[in-house]
Amino acid sequence: MATQESPPPGTSSAMRNAFGTVLSALILLLIGVLAFSIRLFSVIKYESVIHEFDPYFNYRVTQFLSKNGIYEFWNWFDDRTWYPLGRVIGGTVYPGLTLTAGTIWWALNAINIPLSVETVCVFTAPVFSAFASWATYLLTKEVKGSGAGLAAAALLAMVPSYISRSVAGSYDNEAVAIFALIFTFYLYIKTLNTGSLFYATLNALTYFYMVCSWGGYTFIINLIPMHVLLCIVTGRYSPRLYIAYAPLVVLGTLLAALVPVVGFNAVLTSEHFASFLVFIIIHVVALVYYIKGILSPKMFKVAVTLVVSIGLVVCLIVVAVLVALVASSPTGGWSGRSLSLLDPTYASKYIPIIASVSEHQPPTWPSYFMDINVLAFLVPAGIIACFSPLSDASSFVVLYIVMSVYFSGVMVRLMLVLAPAACIMSGIALSQAFDVFTASIKYQLGRSSNSKDDAEDNTSTNNAPKDDSSSGKTDKGEEVAKERSSKKGKKKEREPADKPSVKSKIAKKRALVLPLEASIVALLLLIMLGAFYVIHCVWAAAEAYSAPSIVLTSQSRDGLHVFDDFRESYAWLSHNTDVDDKVASWWDYGYQTTAMANRTVIVDNNTWNNTHIATVGTAMSSPEKAAWEIFNSLDVKYVLVVFGGLIGYPSDDINKFLWMVRIGGGVFPHIKEADYLRDGQYRIDSEATPTMLNCLMYKLSYYRFVETDGKAYDRVRRTEIGKKNFKLTHFEEVFTSHHWMVRIYKLKPQKNRIRGRAKKLKLKTSSGLDSKPAKKNPWI
Amino acid sequence: MAVHTTLPYRFFLSIALLSITAVSEPTDLTTELVSLRSSSESGVIRLNDVSKFITSVATPRPYSLIIFFNSIDLNSNPLQNFRREFGFVSASFIANNNNRSDVTNKLFFCEIDSSDSESFHRFGIQSLPQICLVDPSMENLRHHERGMMEEADVDGTAESVAEFVESRTKLTVGPIHRPPLLSKTQIGVIASLIAISAPFLIKKFLKGETFLHDSRFWQYGAVLVYFFSVSGTMHNIINSIPMYLRDPEDSNRLVFFYEEPEIQLGAEALSVGLLYTGVGLLLAYVTDALVRVRNVNEQRVAMVLVMVVSFLAVKRVVYLNNWKTGYQIQMYWPSSWQ
Repeated sequence: MATQESPPPGTSSAMRNAFGTVLSALILLLIGVLAFSIRLFSVIKYESVIHEFDPYFNYRVTQFLSKNGIYEFWNWFDDRTWYPLGRVIGGTVYPGLTLTAGTIWWALNAINIPLSVETVCVFTAPVFSAFASWATYLLTKEVKGSGAGLAAAALLAMVPSYISRSVAGSYDNEAVAIFALIFTFYLYIKTLNTGSLFYATLNALTYFYMVCSWGGYTFIINLIPMHVLLCIVTGRYSPRLYIAYAPLVVLGTLLAALVPVVGFNAVLTSEHFASFLVFIIIHVVALVYYIKGILSPKMFKVAVTLVVSIGLVVCLIVVAVLVALVASSPTGGWSGRSLSLLDPTYASKYIPIIASVSEHQPPTWPSYFMDINVLAFLVPAGIIACFSPLSDASSFVVLYIVMSVYFSGVMVRLMLVLAPAACIMSGIALSQAFDVFTASIKYQLGRSSNSKDDAEDNTSTNNAPKDDSSSGKTDKGEEVAKERSSKKGKKKEREPADKPSVKSKIAKKRALVLPLEASIVALLLLIMLGAFYVIHCVWAAAEAYSAPSIVLTSQSRDGLHVFDDFRESYAWLSHNTDVDDKVASWWDYGYQTTAMANRTVIVDNNTWNNTHIATVGTAMSSPEKAAWEIFNSLDVKYVLVVFGGLIGYPSDDINKFLWMVRIGGGVFPHIKEADYLRDGQYRIDSEATPTMLNCLMYKLSYYRFVETDGKAYDRVRRTEIGKKNFKLTHFEEVFTSHHWMVRIYKLKPQKNRIRGRAKKLKLKTSSGLDSKPAKKNPWI
Repeated sequence: MAVHTTLPYRFFLSIALLSITAVSEPTDLTTELVSLRSSSESGVIRLNDVSKFITSVATPRPYSLIIFFNSIDLNSNPLQNFRREFGFVSASFIANNNNRSDVTNKLFFCEIDSSDSESFHRFGIQSLPQICLVDPSMENLRHHERGMMEEADVDGTAESVAEFVESRTKLTVGPIHRPPLLSKTQIGVIASLIAISAPFLIKKFLKGETFLHDSRFWQYGAVLVYFFSVSGTMHNIINSIPMYLRDPEDSNRLVFFYEEPEIQLGAEALSVGLLYTGVGLLLAYVTDALVRVRNVNEQRVAMVLVMVVSFLAVKRVVYLNNWKTGYQIQMYWPSSWQ
């Protein structure tokens, strides 16, 4: 609020404003530092590495971009993955993150700061978190003034939900997308408040950046139309609304269609239809307002009937066309994920693959406590505060929180979208509470020092005399505010959005006070709440969300154990195998293998081809010989399995094995889940079924396992394994990592069938022999 | 019911039945069935007289009967839904073979209610829902197993019944016609109501007098949505979780809180949601409403109350969260303090 009205220079209030601005800037800088540094626990506790799975792919793409330039990147056909199909990377990724990090790397190198691509990638997310908190400041400032803005920015800097996706090393789309999301909303509100086409254009550009970055852009292109509709429905239409919305739809859609992965989806899929419908509606409404402006009230009544009926007919036709379009597609033109948002029971009924992913589950209440912590308590107060008074901007943030909290209730993953809204709301609530309490304290202190003499008289139950005068002021202040808003009602076109004036607020502050000691206690309680939030966030950042999952640690009595098996084995692959060798593993490890070992993989984490994944699943579930034939037909040289039985690492391949069976069986019906289960139970001990004990995954995981402790006791399944001593006929072990977490096997070359003839044949013809069994389809 | 079981009555009944069946020819029976069918709306005949149409007719009978065993007294929703579906099959069968009496007169859809315990006994019906096809050659109803619809196929849909009929009788039922959700007249009435009220609504709307223009409506709505979302109601709806459980060891004790972070009970969710929302609303009450109160003592008492309640609520949620998830947040005190 301090910077909104600029009194003549030289006065004390001008000094105060200047001081306030400097202080705000300093606080914002500190918030940025906080947002950046709270995300560095992963680097301090572990090291500067890329985390998990998807970030490795993004990292590899960034490496390619920085090495070959943007045009090569755009046309990149990656033959290292999905062998033998390959993947068109340029057309199937959201390029925002990669381009951002690539640009940062390029700029740093241009000014002679020689950082590696990996370092830039690791620190992109923390840097953008600082940007996101600044964007939150801007957005909240537009809604409720800078006090609320600073509070919201500070809260966002350390909200656990956002930290979980943006610690150093977590190089994923969400890292930049959340910033883009908040900034787009800020520019929308800014346009709405100012009616400036400049901001509208900027808004379209940031929307474009958001589309480049994350599939979650559909949230924006549905939320903003909803807000526009809400404004129209509640009678808040204004030309500013038109300027904020129409350019965004037109420019934004055109720009979105430029992103290859979106393309014509920007106009063809149902996710975008709401924006077009509202686009039509706002034009009809704009027409009505225009006519209202140029006609006399009587004429207008006549015209309304005409225009509204024509408008209704046009709308009906458009709706009919849309319905017909939507109805012609089997899912109604909505993607499965969007549908499960609209109808929460949809996924659990029809799409088990979406329902099975843990981040698509609906959350329980502890999730909220973990991810937004005490903000969950403050948000309702923020919502109430936004309604007094309700402006275009505050109605937008209310809509934002309502939508995002509903969506987060359906899918735990969308907690990430809720987090900024919760921070904004809590910032508003906190700022208002602090305002009231500190003003009360200040007022009461001032009053008590002023009226020391007649203090005894004033200790009675009523503080009427002062209140009367001040309430007079309040009423006056309120009147002023009312007058202003009613003026705005008439001349909405030219005025910026209605904000409570500083004068009236000061008047209110003086009048509306609470008892001194209660205010002090309340203030202390609020500070305690804030302190609890900070502690929780630091704990979450340090303990819960900073494990890179590529390096594991475990704390035991004799100190810290580090399990670096993944990198050990990827390094082994890259040093000991041929560049063109193909490595088969379950899809989880595809991205890592291509990025860290630089070897061709059969399937990876971009699970676009179910049949291909099913093929690998079938191979893993088949007996050795059949599996060998499948892998051989895919030119696979090495098979990589992840095994946690020795050290008790639970997310290993044996635990994921039933999914391999299910997915394999979904395409190749001879794989039946029941064959792997004993009485419906999944087990690998002596009670396990023969199919289970003879499948490739079992054998590759437990080969020579008995040699470790003599009993072959699996620490994850907590049992002795069923079949301990066996030999491999078609595979040979070539590498097992230090803690046995990664085991790599090589496919044995095919045996000569006829000894006498084979001797005579030359190498060329023998390779011809190799291809003979390929006539029979080995997968069936 | 007791009356029916008395011996003289039974005797009289069977005599009477015999006399009827003695005179009725199979073709007459078909005509009678057709007339019975036409008197029923969906074409399902209420079969009150099993012996007349089944047991007393010499095989092969000129028709098959498909019998739905119903029990209105049971008052079971799924059963009545299934009965309705059965009616759709019947109606669709008649409608799809409208002009071919040779087909429609081959198969009749019937229903026997549990009040007719004798027929239930004859068929040996032990459980519901049950559907039985009496084909022309079936003589002994006791050996009706081959005509029974298999339990796995009885899934309550019209399609399953149609499939069953088609597989057993070699007659085609054709596509099932379900009546639309709203009948044509209903749609017409609704459409005309909308058309009539539209000008008034639009007028009201333009004047800004609807509830949509009342910010309180939106305020309460927003808080309500928030309350339901943070309490994880969607989780409970999707997984259809009950409000509370009974303690397996002591059936009189009710379990309201479940010690597992991935699962929550309905009552638990709502109470925590209430705590989440309540604290915020109390804060809003203090900063928005309480400041306007004139009386200082009133303010003081209210604030103390609010602060105590909020403090306890937050403490309770923190305690519940730690209990449920097993997490203990590290306080980062200096090591010398511990």
